[in-house]
Amino acid sequence: MTHAGELISAYLDGELGGGERQRLFDHLSSCGTCAVEMEEMQVVRSAVRSLPMMELPPGLIPEADVEAVPLTRNRGFLVGAAAAVVAMVIAVAAILTPSPVALSVDDLNSRFGARVSADPAFGPAKVVVPSIIEITE
Amino acid sequence: MTESIPLTWEEVARVYGKKIYNFAYRLTGNSNDAADLVQEVLLRVRRGLASYQPGSFEGWLWRITRNAFLDDVRKRKRRPTSPLPDDIDRWDLASSPGADVEFSRVSLGDDIQKALLELPVEFREAVVLCDIVGLSYEEISQAAAVPIGTVRSRIHRGRKILKELLT
Repeated sequence: MTHAGELISAYLDGELGGGERQRLFDHLSSCGTCAVEMEEMQVVRSAVRSLPMMELPPGLIPEADVEAVPLTRNRGFLVGAAAAVVAMVIAVAAILTPSPVALSVDDLNSRFGARVSADPAFGPAKVVVPSIIEITE
Repeated sequence: MTESIPLTWEEVARVYGKKIYNFAYRLTGNSNDAADLVQEVLLRVRRGLASYQPGSFEGWLWRITRNAFLDDVRKRKRRPTSPLPDDIDRWDLASSPGADVEFSRVSLGDDIQKALLELPVEFREAVVLCDIVGLSYEEISQAAAVPIGTVRSRIHRGRKILKELLT
């Protein structure tokens, strides 16, 4: 090895494998020039690394945009959840609302305009909206 | 470095924005150019994420970042960008006075920044990616699309020139 050269920086950066590291150490033990260079490179490396991290200028990355992802996701989730809750309440209310009064064929016809057969199979008893007790059973 | 892949450009901005800005600031030496570069990088990230293939996200991101910087240098040609020297010996490194020389001004950030700007672009980006951004040689190799041996050489040469400039 003439001189250690770039092995020095690689060593300082933790990028040297075992074999090369040993070669470097062997060389440094007998080469004052490279030992000096090792110290110099360490000082320069530390100096560059001591530069302060600059803060982002205000507005460069708009906060609204940065936050848009989680906000959008949350908003979508909340809207969906709210819709599901409303739908569930309506469904439960419809089921639980007692309607003990049997509807007649005339009632159905007048309310829905539907033509319900007068056949006993489609009689009023068959179109009674189930009561709570019937649901429970 | 983690390899978790941000899903959106907003997340890239939030996680890497400050690092990209500091990379740009140390390469350009001024906040306006650095801010422009950050915006350009995020724009490219936004376009590129759709076709991003799983791999080294750091390598991909910093490749975009340094390409944006180099494109800007070529386009505007108003920054101090020394050409890569054919003969590194011109720095007369053999006449180095030795480690006992005190780097009396080395603690001054302005002088370090000024010295960085005097480095050839290839050396400057390697040193900044290593010492400011904190990338490994492997990641720098991917970002700059050069072999690790070249990265090692550029960083060391860059530091030797910095040492000359700071003493």
